[in-house]
Amino acid sequence: MADDIHGALREAIRTILPDVECVLGWGSGPDPLRSAPLFMKSPEDVERFRAGELAVNNLAVFLPEYAGRKVGIVVKGCDSRSVVQLISETLVKREEVVIIGYPCRGVVDVAKIAAAIGLGNEDLEAGLVERAEVNGDTVSVTVRGETKTFPFKDVMAAKCSICRYPNAVLHDVFIGEKAEAREDSYADLEKYEAMSLEERFRFWEKEMERCIRCYACRNACPLCVCRDHCVASSREPHWLSQADSTRDKLFFQLIHATHLAGRCTGCGECARACPVGIPVGLFKRFINRAAGQLFGFQGGLDPEAVSPLQRFLVDEPTIKEKEWK
Amino acid sequence: MRIGVFVCHCGSNIAATVDSAAVAAAARDFDEVVFSTDTMYTCSEPGQTGIIEAIKTHALDGVVVAACSPRMHEPTFRRAVERAGVNRYMVEMANIREHVSWIGKDKEANTNKATELVRMAVEKLRLNRPLFPKTFKATRRVLVIGGGVAGIQTALDCAEAGLEVVMVERESTIGGKMAKLDKTFPTVDCSSCILGPKMVDVAQHPNITLYASAEVEAVSGFVGNFEVTIRKKVTCVDWEKCTGCGLCTEKCPSKKAYNRFDEGVGPTTAINIPFPQAIPKKAVIDKEFCRYFTTGKCGVCAKICPTGAINYEQQEELAQEKVGAIVAATGYDLFDWRAYGEYGAGRYPDVISSLQYERMLSASGPTGGHIKRPSDGKEPKTVVFIQCVGSRDASIGRPYCSGFCCMYTAKQAILTKDHIPDSQSYVFYMDIRAPGKAYDEFTRRAMEEYGAQYVRGRVALIYPKGDKLVVRGTDTLMSSQVEVEADLVVLAAGAEAARNASGLAEKLHISYDTYGFFVEGHPKLRPVETNTAGVFLAGACQGPKDIPSSVAQGSAAAAKVLGLLSKDVLESDPQIAQVTLQRCIGCGKCIRVCPFQAIRETDFRGQRKAEVIEAVCQGCGLCNATCPQGAIQLSHFTDNQVLAEVEALCRC
Repeated sequence: MADDIHGALREAIRTILPDVECVLGWGSGPDPLRSAPLFMKSPEDVERFRAGELAVNNLAVFLPEYAGRKVGIVVKGCDSRSVVQLISETLVKREEVVIIGYPCRGVVDVAKIAAAIGLGNEDLEAGLVERAEVNGDTVSVTVRGETKTFPFKDVMAAKCSICRYPNAVLHDVFIGEKAEAREDSYADLEKYEAMSLEERFRFWEKEMERCIRCYACRNACPLCVCRDHCVASSREPHWLSQADSTRDKLFFQLIHATHLAGRCTGCGECARACPVGIPVGLFKRFINRAAGQLFGFQGGLDPEAVSPLQRFLVDEPTIKEKEWK
Repeated sequence: MRIGVFVCHCGSNIAATVDSAAVAAAARDFDEVVFSTDTMYTCSEPGQTGIIEAIKTHALDGVVVAACSPRMHEPTFRRAVERAGVNRYMVEMANIREHVSWIGKDKEANTNKATELVRMAVEKLRLNRPLFPKTFKATRRVLVIGGGVAGIQTALDCAEAGLEVVMVERESTIGGKMAKLDKTFPTVDCSSCILGPKMVDVAQHPNITLYASAEVEAVSGFVGNFEVTIRKKVTCVDWEKCTGCGLCTEKCPSKKAYNRFDEGVGPTTAINIPFPQAIPKKAVIDKEFCRYFTTGKCGVCAKICPTGAINYEQQEELAQEKVGAIVAATGYDLFDWRAYGEYGAGRYPDVISSLQYERMLSASGPTGGHIKRPSDGKEPKTVVFIQCVGSRDASIGRPYCSGFCCMYTAKQAILTKDHIPDSQSYVFYMDIRAPGKAYDEFTRRAMEEYGAQYVRGRVALIYPKGDKLVVRGTDTLMSSQVEVEADLVVLAAGAEAARNASGLAEKLHISYDTYGFFVEGHPKLRPVETNTAGVFLAGACQGPKDIPSSVAQGSAAAAKVLGLLSKDVLESDPQIAQVTLQRCIGCGKCIRVCPFQAIRETDFRGQRKAEVIEAVCQGCGLCNATCPQGAIQLSHFTDNQVLAEVEALCRC
């Protein structure tokens, strides 16, 4: 990302800092390849801010905790949709958040980089990556003194190549030129749809065998706002058993997906956060497409909109029930 | 818990295809079941006594009845266990009749399925807790929607019995379809002579408040405590001042307005009073035809009105009424016969509907009671009546019989002969349906005394020939083609649900069928009730009905309302949503999804929480399904209870 945009972003953050409790952004993480959330409270903190292709996390996940206090947040296009959805669900008040947007050309998929240098995601211990740089269309990573360079598009997160909203859909400040939107035809779902139901079930059973029930997928999800009250850990009601079974694990994923029906903004954090690489984002992709087809609705675009499953209408405008024969 | 299981034979209804004794035997192995038996008729007096005895003998505190649908007998068994001192919500029913014995013939499979359903019921019952209804005061007033003969009957019966009645009529006068009729079968007495006095009674009864030219905008609340918003439509006439003198209608220069009351037979004036006996007798301006609105200039009526009642700037108003019960009496509308291309689809002026013909017959109608062809005003000598236009015809989506057309066609054939003695009527019919008191005799009279030619068969085509219409059909009794050269063709259009009946049904939260008719609580045993407590049906809104049946139902609905509101306090259903405060995160999803506005946000020690307004909650369960963390539970249908049923089924 260009230095002038970084400079302008820091300037924008410093400008709003006196009016807010803190500004959520990104700073350096366990190694130069990975960013971590940065909670900026002073101008000195702002020096450590960095955005761009390595600024992967969706910081909207922290917003509901600040209810009643005013905060700033720096957002990519996808992050902004989470903020919008939270506002539309009244979980975040519009007047309590200052949104700073910038054009996003995509972020890296750390798991893809790890795989490209011959490591598993779980092998990336802190300090292993000595240097990481994005230069134009390439990404260079230095591990144990050895530098490898990849084309950026090869290590870009899958969600970015089909990103329809690379610029913040709602913002108070926008720094830089708007980035170009891409198309999403849900082509990635075709190979799963080609499977029979039995094959799909076997596929998921196999995937779920790896699940360690850490609930990172849930915790990374900006719209999973129940936190300590999640139905997954409740015995009253007792939806899930505590048994270590693939069925219970799959059951949770289905609950998660249905809770996100018509709400999910496709930020992909659930799948990114999964330490064992289960493609849990697929459930949401399916359900998002269904919400679009059934209700003509996409979450996180309009702060005034109400998600179709969170309202009661006698007649859904997109479902012509009375014309059914 | 000590659970008793009672498996019903229902005579042979269940026992023919389910081994009830085997189901009872299997149930003895289920957790906490200490007693089980099979009985011939569990709902019968000895059957219920058996349950009560078993509760006492075996100290039961929960009962499963495996029998019919809970819609049928759940109240029966709830009362039975209550008589034995057990809370009425400690009964579960397993529906082994409608869900098992009536739909499958394989006795072994049926017995297995019945056993599984009993196991599910037992597992749910184990998590049941006693629930207690609360009491609330009821408003002793009733809303009657629709001022036709059925609504009038309900209103008068309720008002006479001392209830306050609010009547809402969307037209500017009450009277409904009956007011448009000339004579009524089978006595051929004058319609307005018998209806008129009742209409006057409505206007004069101290207990009746009438809103004409008004519609129900919204209904909230629940049985005993409905809040109704009534939208008073713009009439451009201040009805407080209007005396119904009719001067405005005489002087109105716009004389080509569509005459809704006369079904378009003859025009009316833009400001009009529908008919001389209108109640209320007040003028209404039809903005579509009023020159003041179409050209911006006129104002004749305003100048002439002796009381200054004309108000072109009048705005819609909303009125609020509190009532304890609602009677829907919205009647029917005629099928739009233009769907039939073979009858000209509306192209031939001398093909008219039965109701248009009725207006022609009426002495107070547009032709002064003279039958005149719309095309040239001549008196027709040959009149053809075609029955079942929009009835009993699946091809146009109307498979049902409208019931009263056979009778009114016979009446119209008789009246035709009375009006024009040298006329000849032909009636094309499918079957004569005349199963009422003195009805069949009446149709015979039309044929035998009045010489109407009845031809059994459908008409294939009507086409013009000179100034006549050739009606070509089949006589299925003679197996021959028939052609009649008619001067006038009258189509006995069938009945369909009143315009926008479904919209009203949705406001009232009652069901309606494919054709828009409102659905009664039970086709035989609850004919005027609906499945929404406190909402009743009268007249043709429930299905096509003639005047005697509509009046009978109007009185029946009144009896139900009076029964309901004879008590000062009503009991609320405890099967409603409950918020578990410690689990609620205050996300508000339940508030948005509630169709009844029964959930509100509340502050609990500085935290945002949801709160159920118990009296408003209808127990629909939408909040329950929406709450992501399961903090809202529907009493008697908690997540754990439903999960227990599912688990039981999966274990089978």
